[in-house]
Formats: sequence, C-alpha cells, structure tokens
Amino acid sequence: MNAQTRQRLFGVNHALDSGVVRVFVIAIVGIFILTPILFMLLRSAGKIPDKHYEELWKRYKSWLILGPMMTVPVLLGAFWTILAVGILSILCYREYARATGLFRERITSLLVAAGILAVTFSVLDHWYGLFTALFPLWAGFIAAAAIFEDRPKGYIQRVALAVLAFSLFGVCLGHLGYFANDRDFRPILFWLVLCVEMNDIFAYISGKMFGHLKLAPHTSPNKTIGGALGALILTTTMAAAIGHFVFRNSTVDHPARLIMLGLVISICGQLGDLLISSIKRDLEIKDMGVLFPGHGGWLDRFDSLILAAPAIFHLVGYFRGIGLDQPARILSGN
Amino acid sequence: MEPWKLEPAHDHGMPLEQRLKSVRRESGLIGVAAHVAWWRAIRIYLRTVHRLKVEGLERLPTEPPFVLVANHQSHLDALILASQLPWRIRLRTYPIAAADTFFDSNTSAAFAAATINALPMQRGRGGAHALDDLRNRLAAERCVYVLFPEGTRSRDGSMNPFKPGIGMFLAGTDAPAVPCHIQGAFQAMPPNRRVPRATPISLRIGDPINFKQSPNNREGWTSIARQLEIAVRDLAGQLSNSTSSG
Repeated sequence: MNAQTRQRLFGVNHALDSGVVRVFVIAIVGIFILTPILFMLLRSAGKIPDKHYEELWKRYKSWLILGPMMTVPVLLGAFWTILAVGILSILCYREYARATGLFRERITSLLVAAGILAVTFSVLDHWYGLFTALFPLWAGFIAAAAIFEDRPKGYIQRVALAVLAFSLFGVCLGHLGYFANDRDFRPILFWLVLCVEMNDIFAYISGKMFGHLKLAPHTSPNKTIGGALGALILTTTMAAAIGHFVFRNSTVDHPARLIMLGLVISICGQLGDLLISSIKRDLEIKDMGVLFPGHGGWLDRFDSLILAAPAIFHLVGYFRGIGLDQPARILSGN
Repeated sequence: MEPWKLEPAHDHGMPLEQRLKSVRRESGLIGVAAHVAWWRAIRIYLRTVHRLKVEGLERLPTEPPFVLVANHQSHLDALILASQLPWRIRLRTYPIAAADTFFDSNTSAAFAAATINALPMQRGRGGAHALDDLRNRLAAERCVYVLFPEGTRSRDGSMNPFKPGIGMFLAGTDAPAVPCHIQGAFQAMPPNRRVPRATPISLRIGDPINFKQSPNNREGWTSIARQLEIAVRDLAGQLSNSTSSG
C-alpha cells in the first residue's frame, strides 16, 4: 500500500482540503446550531403547535445522531467511509430480514450477510472486477446453497427474498462505498447524500403546497404527483448547481450532464423510497424498524440512497471514471 | 422442519428494551451466534467443573414441542437442562424465568435474552396474559420450554410442591412434558452463593408424559402438577438409589 492510498484511506488531515467539503461542514454545523433557535422562535411566535413542536424536537435529536454518523466517517477517510457503508448495509439487511421473516432461514440469511461482507471487502480492496462479479456469483451461490436444505416448499420465495436483499443492500448500497475509491470522494459523497436527503424534503414541501393528485395511493398514500414534480425540479436545480463545484474541471462539469445527474438523483431517490414502501405495504407494517424517533428504522431513513447510489456511480463513472488514478487491489494484489 | 413463512418477526416494531422483555422475542443471526457460543461454553463448564452425569438422554423427544420440567435447586438448573439438548433444538429452547428477577432491569434482561434465551414469566397479576402468549408460542413455533413448577429455588435443598401453573402450559396440548431431576446443584450453588462451588451434579431424565386428554381447567392443571411432581420425585428416588448403589 503506497502513501497515496494510505492518505486516501486514513488521511484525516486533508479532510477539509476541498472548498466544497468546507462549505458542507460549515453548513451542517450551522444548521444544527440554528435549528433549535428557529424552533424556539417559531414556537414563541405561536407558529408551531405543541404537538408538532415535540415531534420536531424528536426529529432534530435523531438528526443530531444521524448527521455525525453520516459525515464523520467521510471526513476521517475512505477506510472509515467504506466501513460505515458496510455496517449500514448489514443494518439495513437486518431490518429487511426481520420484516420479511428471512431471518428465520439461518443459512440463507448468513449467506446474504457474508455476501455483503464480500462486497465490502471488494470495495475496500478497490477490486472492481470482484465487485462486479459478486452479484451473479453470489446470487447463484445463494440459490444453489438453498437446494441443500432439500425443502422445495417456499424455495422461490426464500431465494428471491435473499437475492433481492443482496442486490439492494449489498450491491446497490456497496456503490455508495465504492465512491470512496475516488480521490475526490468527500465532495462527491457529501453532494450525493445532501441531494438525496433534500429530494425527500423537497417532495414533502412541494406535496404540501401543490399536491392534489396522488402518485401511488396504494403504495404510499401521502406521496403526490405535485410533490414528485416539485422534487424533480428543485433537486435537479440544486444537484446541477452544487455539482458544478464538485465536478469542476472534469468532463462531468457540463450543464446537460449536471442536469442529467440531478434528474437521476431525484427519480432514483423517489423510486427507492417507493420501493421500500411497496415492501412495507406488502408486509402490512408501518416502518421497517424503530431505531430513530420520527424516522423509523435505518431503511426508512436511507431508502432513497439504494437506487440513487448505483445510478449516479455508473453515470459519473461513464463521464469521468471513478478512482481510475488510484492503485487497485490494494489488499489482494501483489 | 419448519415451513417457510413470509411473516415479520413477532417482536417487529418493538423498541430494544421492550423486545428483550417480550415473550414474543425472536433471535436473529447475532442472537443465534451468541447462544451457540454461550451453550458451548456452558457444556464445557458443566463437564469439567461439575463433572455433570446425565442419565436417560435417550428419553428426550427428538422433535419439539416439549417442556422440560425439573426440581429447582439453583441458578445452574436451566443451564444444566438446556445444555443437554442437541444444538438444533437448543436454538429453539427457552428457559422460562421469573420476570421480577431476570428481567427487572435492561442489563439483566439483555443478559438473560442474549445468553440463555430466557423468556419472562410474570408472577402474580398480569401473569395470565403472558402465560397465554407462552402457551400459544409453544404450539405455533414448535419450541422447547424449560420450567420449574416449584415457582422458586429451594431454600434447603428439598423439593417443594409443584404449582398448578405448569398445567396451564400443557393441558390439552400436543407438547409432552419431560420430567427431570437435578441433584447436587443446591450444594454447588445454594441461594446465598453468587459463585458456584466445583461440586458434582447429576441429572436424570424421565419418560415424556402427554397431557393432551387433560382438561384445560383448574382441576386439570392441578392433576398435571401432581403427576409431574410424582414423576420427578420418582426420579429422585431412582437417582438416590443408583447413587447409593453405585
């Protein structure tokens, strides 16, 4: 492992080198400081009823934990970022397995978890060949291993649930970690996560203002076409504007490409949200977990990243490549 | 083999502290790994420190559901009984522990849940509802319970009468009860000791008894408790005879 790689993996002293990262960090800290002041001002002005005030505080406290959990690993270095994404993938799988009942299938469940760990290793190793090979190989492995239980009743459902889990939480979320193999991973990840989170907020606000027609009433009764279109316009604008600074002097920094990235973030973010909503409606549960007050579980919070991460990864990879100038196979190579 | 069910965990939606104290708790991969490690260590401990001698292992049913019923001499008892089951069954084995002793704080509840996979049993008021949940779970999940019908540990080493509550688990169900007798656990760890002495312990397992025909009412429960108490006392007699003759 050379000095350049060590720097990328653990180089916390260069965390704030990028101007974009500095702005992100200052903005996050500023929001955390200003939000409670804003709450108190609005309450004293009678703009927030007591019930909503309590709810907002709960959400704020959850963000006080979530915010550092999302930003600190990225600032610490690529190693911690990849590790954090690996842990997030396992936690998301755990919620999914408990919601679907797949956790009762010990061997199958263990294989999905092992597959997620294998993906995390390939990401950390910067071994793209293994990273892409793992999906077909591991999906086949899960399907083949289930044969040995000699239990054909329910085989399709068990294996399909396991392969879906591996593809969503292992492979799709694994792309979020793979960004950390790029020299500029910090601004890219902050940009992506910010846009995805804001996409949710834009959809909520636009829905409240213009939402009359339901988007998918059986899947997610609160989502509206107005909210989806509002999020599409606002997220695309924001992603393109901030993306200009994130991808400055690269082949991505072109208005049409930046707009395309913004559209993809917004569409995939909303589809990821609806995907998890579909699973919840199918299982007739409200939330995937109960970890954060006001947020549900890990999956309820990070569902929008599941489809957005691989889509943006491959789009940015197509335009400029990701981690092409970084040494590959840093652990498994010679 | 359990049929596949597309069904959320029975404790889905509960916060962690509530999950740990719930009779509907279900373990995932991490829980199973903790139980496997715990039981492996306990088996080694019992074999080496207490030179545990077991008779009648072949009488255990090969498939759950069933209930292991024994005299209660010490905190080692549930460990002695559950550790004798094959690991495949042990992962579906739940010692039933007094909620006011083992689940009174989050720390003790976490320990009881993560290690021996105990389920809480409320004593006194509120117990009937929990008992219904436990009875339903025994049949629905085809699991194993470890129960001590005396209700509490012996204070002097002698066996106390069995309480009829045991009958409420078993009356009219397919789950047989397996009477067991533990000897030596009181000497190893009486109620006033926190650390066990390295003294020998014996376990004798009796023939399973089915109570499917027993009426699910007070009369039936009392009769079940009496039959099981006699069965365990019989085993105690055999054990003391075999010990004295051996």
